[in-house]
Amino acid sequence: MAIRLSLGDEVHHVTILRRHPHLVLVIDGEEHEVTRLPGAGDGRGVVSIGGHEVAFARATLGDRQVVRLGGRTFDVSRVDPFSKGGAGGGAQDALKAPMPGAVVTVHRQPGETVARGEPLITIESMKLQTALPAPRDGVVAEILRAEGQTFEKDEVIATLEPETEDA
Amino acid sequence: MTAPLFRKILVANRGEIACRVMRTLAEMGIASVAIHHRVEARARHVRMADEAVEITGETPVAAHLDIDQIVEAARATGADAIHPGYGFLSENARFAEAVAAAGIAFIGPDAATISLMGDKISARNFAEANGVAVAPSVMPTDDIDAFVARAEGIGFPLLIKAAAGGGGKGMSIVRSAADLAEAARIAASEALRYFGDGRVYAETYVERPRHIEVQVLGDGEGGAIHLFERECSVQRRFQKIIEEAPAANLAPGLREEICQSAVRLAAAAKYRNAGTVEYILGADGRFFFLEMNTRLQVEHPVTEMITGLDLVRAQIEIAAGKGLPLAQADVAVNGHAIECRVCAEDPDRDFMPETGQVQYLGVPEEGWLRFESALDQGQKITADFDPMLAKLVVHGKDRGQAIDRSIEALGGLAVLGVKTNIDYLARVLGHDAFRAGELHTGFVKEHGAALAPPALPAETLAQVLAAAALGFREFQELALGTPEPYAAIGGWRN
Repeated sequence: MAIRLSLGDEVHHVTILRRHPHLVLVIDGEEHEVTRLPGAGDGRGVVSIGGHEVAFARATLGDRQVVRLGGRTFDVSRVDPFSKGGAGGGAQDALKAPMPGAVVTVHRQPGETVARGEPLITIESMKLQTALPAPRDGVVAEILRAEGQTFEKDEVIATLEPETEDA
Repeated sequence: MTAPLFRKILVANRGEIACRVMRTLAEMGIASVAIHHRVEARARHVRMADEAVEITGETPVAAHLDIDQIVEAARATGADAIHPGYGFLSENARFAEAVAAAGIAFIGPDAATISLMGDKISARNFAEANGVAVAPSVMPTDDIDAFVARAEGIGFPLLIKAAAGGGGKGMSIVRSAADLAEAARIAASEALRYFGDGRVYAETYVERPRHIEVQVLGDGEGGAIHLFERECSVQRRFQKIIEEAPAANLAPGLREEICQSAVRLAAAAKYRNAGTVEYILGADGRFFFLEMNTRLQVEHPVTEMITGLDLVRAQIEIAAGKGLPLAQADVAVNGHAIECRVCAEDPDRDFMPETGQVQYLGVPEEGWLRFESALDQGQKITADFDPMLAKLVVHGKDRGQAIDRSIEALGGLAVLGVKTNIDYLARVLGHDAFRAGELHTGFVKEHGAALAPPALPAETLAQVLAAAALGFREFQELALGTPEPYAAIGGWRN
């Protein structure tokens, strides 16, 4: 069985090569012998891999594993090969909410031009106001949340007109 | 045991500070009353209290700001005093007045002192009149256009602040005239929203300033002592994330001068309660009064750790008319203490607040460590309240040991399921400039690149991926080749 895991911007592959006498995993093409296996579930555990024993803490959140190891925390997601998202325009066309909150001020209305880095919308979350800058130079296409309206993290709250490639 | 100073105290707060106050109440044999909004009915502070009263409001925060309901809760439960904690109503003069009018003791100063110190401009004038140095160029106004026009005349950089503010709300540094209007507008709207007072002012911004504050205790009769200083220079978004006591590399003469200045202010104000006088300290050794906080501070535990005092107990004794718990000559510093504020936020994305659910909580236990929190495993972290989840407070025999122990404790702390700044805090503590005590309020920005997550060694990456893959039950079962329950046998604790 193989599993694809994403960490940061990269996708990694973990495959079970054999189970006896020890479990051997192929991680990104390299074989690793696992001589001590952690149990499943949330909490602290120990894994011994390539002869090195290492303690960690781990929690499962659906398709994500949050692993704390060596004083660092890693958010690892299982990549589902059947849910290849990514329809629609480029990321640069959309202003996504970096956190849940509410719109305080809309600085540019649809049709108005905005320069990269200029405040497009000021939002408020957890008692903090933040001016969200335009991701690039362009013309505002839509403002999807009016002043006072709330939104969730990663919701698109404004879009820019697609860039024309002709120069 | 002698009779308690109060029979029952209502704690008008929530979260870690409510729990911390109740711990002292229990030690003193005083009954506790918690207040809570519907959404936090099962919160730790509610479970810790002897009694709990539900308060209502459109939002949980609104409920915790409802003076009438809270005073009524105290009356209904027969509480003879109210401890306000920090934040919420702790520096609200109307609240202190309403509590006193109901015949209940307010564990804090009187309403007049709160008003005096709560308005930055009147506080500044009072400080100046009592020989406490203040920064040049203040221009209070509630007319934004007039404010912008006049602020330009002072020269840049400027610090924009809310007159009624605190905690960095409505505050920003402005370096050019072009940014002034929007900064002032945001400051005024935040000020209006959080303090009900839209007045903002500007003052000359001291470059590379250190934030030094002095813990004072006043008896309300003009008697005051200091419990030495804290350094709170490591900040992001104008809010402290690491505090320590005593301050690093502070010349003894300068320390004495700053501490005496704070005592002078507290004595002149006939201050009653624990309080904190905040200063900015420039590289040239000049220091200016910032503000006085008339309540317990978030970072009070570092002072407790180096002095051995319980500040909540001192507050209660003072409120009961027992006077100061000790004389200045008896206050001694023992070692060094550091507090790290564990927040639900993403340091890699400009410290944006994060939400989520605490799926696993693992806290290290050591005699030299205090973990102050109201966190429970399984708790949802919402946008309803402040993003601070916990405080990790560590004592060491000297600053070096306190740093090492803090890094060790952060390494052993696991709050999984919501993004936190735990790893980031450890990187700050481990940075050479931090160890050297080269601190200023721009530390986080100055060392931004060096404080980013380091590259991941291939060996660690393999360990992480193995641990993650084996966390998925299907993968685990296939890897073991054995059905449950044998799958549960392994190197597993907890």
